[in-house]
Amino acid sequence: MTALKLLSRTKLYWGLIAIFLIGVLGSPVSSKGNNIFLSYGNLLDVLRQVSTTGLIATGMTAVIITGGIDLSVGSLMAICSVVCAMLLTVPGVTPGVVLGVPTVAVVALCLGFIVTRFIFLNLEKSRAGADASRDARLDRARGLVTPAIVGVVLCCLSLWYLLPQVEPKFGVLGVLLVAPCVGLLFGALNGFIIVAGRLQPFIVTLAMMVTALGIARLTAGQNNAVLPVYTGSNATEDFELLRSMVFGVIPMPGLFFLGAILIYGAVLRFTPFGRYVYAIGGNEEAARLSGIAAGRVKIVTYAVSGLLAGIAAVLYVAQYRQGKPDAGAGLELDAIAAVVIGGTSLMGGRGSLTGTFCGVLIFGLLSNILQLHNINSNLQLVLKGMIIIGTVLVQERNAGDLLAYLRLPGAAHKETAAAKRPSQETRSLNLGGNKK
Amino acid sequence: MKRRDTLKLAALGAALLTTTALLSTGHAMAQDKKWKIGFSQVTTIEPWRAQFNKDILAEAAKHPEVELIITDGEDKTEKQVADVENLIRQEVDALLVSPKESAGLTGVVQQAIDAKIPVFVLDRNVDTKDYTQFVGGDNKLIGRAAGEYAVELLGGKGKASGNVVEIWGGMGTQPAHDRHDGFHEFTDKEPGIKYLLDQQSGDWKQDQAYNLMANALKSNEKIDLVYGHNDPMAYGAYLAAKDVGREKDIKFIGIDGLPNEGVQMVNKGELTATFTYVTPGAEGLRQAIKFLNGEKVEKTITLPTQKITKENAAQVLKDNGL
Repeated sequence: MTALKLLSRTKLYWGLIAIFLIGVLGSPVSSKGNNIFLSYGNLLDVLRQVSTTGLIATGMTAVIITGGIDLSVGSLMAICSVVCAMLLTVPGVTPGVVLGVPTVAVVALCLGFIVTRFIFLNLEKSRAGADASRDARLDRARGLVTPAIVGVVLCCLSLWYLLPQVEPKFGVLGVLLVAPCVGLLFGALNGFIIVAGRLQPFIVTLAMMVTALGIARLTAGQNNAVLPVYTGSNATEDFELLRSMVFGVIPMPGLFFLGAILIYGAVLRFTPFGRYVYAIGGNEEAARLSGIAAGRVKIVTYAVSGLLAGIAAVLYVAQYRQGKPDAGAGLELDAIAAVVIGGTSLMGGRGSLTGTFCGVLIFGLLSNILQLHNINSNLQLVLKGMIIIGTVLVQERNAGDLLAYLRLPGAAHKETAAAKRPSQETRSLNLGGNKK
Repeated sequence: MKRRDTLKLAALGAALLTTTALLSTGHAMAQDKKWKIGFSQVTTIEPWRAQFNKDILAEAAKHPEVELIITDGEDKTEKQVADVENLIRQEVDALLVSPKESAGLTGVVQQAIDAKIPVFVLDRNVDTKDYTQFVGGDNKLIGRAAGEYAVELLGGKGKASGNVVEIWGGMGTQPAHDRHDGFHEFTDKEPGIKYLLDQQSGDWKQDQAYNLMANALKSNEKIDLVYGHNDPMAYGAYLAAKDVGREKDIKFIGIDGLPNEGVQMVNKGELTATFTYVTPGAEGLRQAIKFLNGEKVEKTITLPTQKITKENAAQVLKDNGL
């Protein structure tokens, strides 16, 4: 019984294990007698191929857990990739610089202010009562002045770092600062409009998707062609770093993906912020009444989603040697699919990054296997769609219900399945249900 | 609960076994082939690309010793790069790539070269010179052929006169610029030829060309010749002229000459002429097989163009089984 319990606990990994086994057992064998699927290079290829979608899906998971959705990530990636490629290849003041550098300044200013103020307020709280004789007005003023100073200092620092790089070309660190900041700003804007305007996330991010695509095209200029990054020695040498293998083992994009999953996963699971995200998805009204600043938490999730899209864009430019307005087209749907396969509910309140990680890998391995067998590409699309439905059915334990509808064997479990399933609220506290 | 889980496990096991069995049978068939050749295509839903695949498959049918694997990049650089990586892992004997764009595919083509796989680049080049061979058409050459014929239609060398409407393909694309430059090498020498539109683009699409032409017809009493950068645009212009009853006084020239598209239009008398932009599919595969059999191949092969008019259109259709 305990074994079975464990099995149902780890049902998240079932799909992954199954896909992997199919891959291993049905793998074509090369002329030299190697198992192609298991070959070291092939699995690393898969990791590299999924890392862009994976980063996007990581940000999307938190957004979906709060009950929202972010359709703009693909277009945000397009903007960031254009900006990134421009900074790397074209010296002087380009549209990329005009968009990128002020964005970093604004983000530095705001972040410096917000973070400092947050720390300040928390210090105030811990000191409150202990030192009641202090002048409250003076405190309030200090609570605004100190953060403002920190923000301005950070802003100046970032400009001092970036401006000298405009005339030659930007290096890899400069790009890794600018592109994610651009994504962060647009993401935060998404969140702000959704929260302040009290609008549906679906429509706001849909509008942003269109807007951002336009901005990406405007930034790229009349010529919507590819911006070459490495024709000869067009970009700085150190940009090659992002395409290299770390310690000769893991491809760099894969490392970024794994890092994002680990860090954001830890944040969602072990910090108050993470608990707020789940609480908002479970019942926003209740969360608000219990004193959670729901609006701010939501803005942060959208901002992080944009930030990760920016990082994905830099990796895209490194890998494909180009940044262009149609980079990342359709990526938001792939990411949403991976998130849902990973057991995160579109209703919000339930899901985990472990699940998303599995979902992304299932997707990647599936494409890889179908391609290794050279199955007709149109048929591949059909199979992918069917497998998504199948996986989600197993995930949600609704396969029995579907069978019951068809009056097929298995119908007997209908009531028990419904009764056994914990309600939404209790499950939201179960954080994805795959601990241990 | 218990029974459900066992049922599920059983179902899962059965599914596993059947898929692996299905997947393995596919491979038993391909064992007796001598060469395994991979071809990475950009997309399959565009007429010219579909013809491209048809040509390469027809050629492959003539070579029973070859197993040809065609992948579809779904018009995305990421997907095409993944496809090529996949073909490298499958240890193909030769790799044919028709890149979606030069920069994006360069890295992975280099990877194939490093893995000692001969690479044949088709239709569009990559930013490296280490490939085995490049096979493709020359848009400038085609533009020249069209320009020469246009001068002939308008009265011949030195005497040609008339009003010409040129409908561009995508403004930012190299093929459009090449097709324009080649055409003007001939027509610019004729003082009698006037150009009515200044760089107007129909973005390769029939509907946009229709609207362009409809406006041109309203503002110009006399139009003698329309040069569309591809057949659908020339056809769109023809439809616009037909809708105002002026198609009889205008000559229409297109480019691409796909059997099921441009050649049909010429055969019906809708277009005056089209110039084929031959797909490099058949030639590329022939060259790859030649190379695998130990013969020398040239670094670059430029495919010729063919003028298709009312005289030879029916014959071309017959040759293509239409």
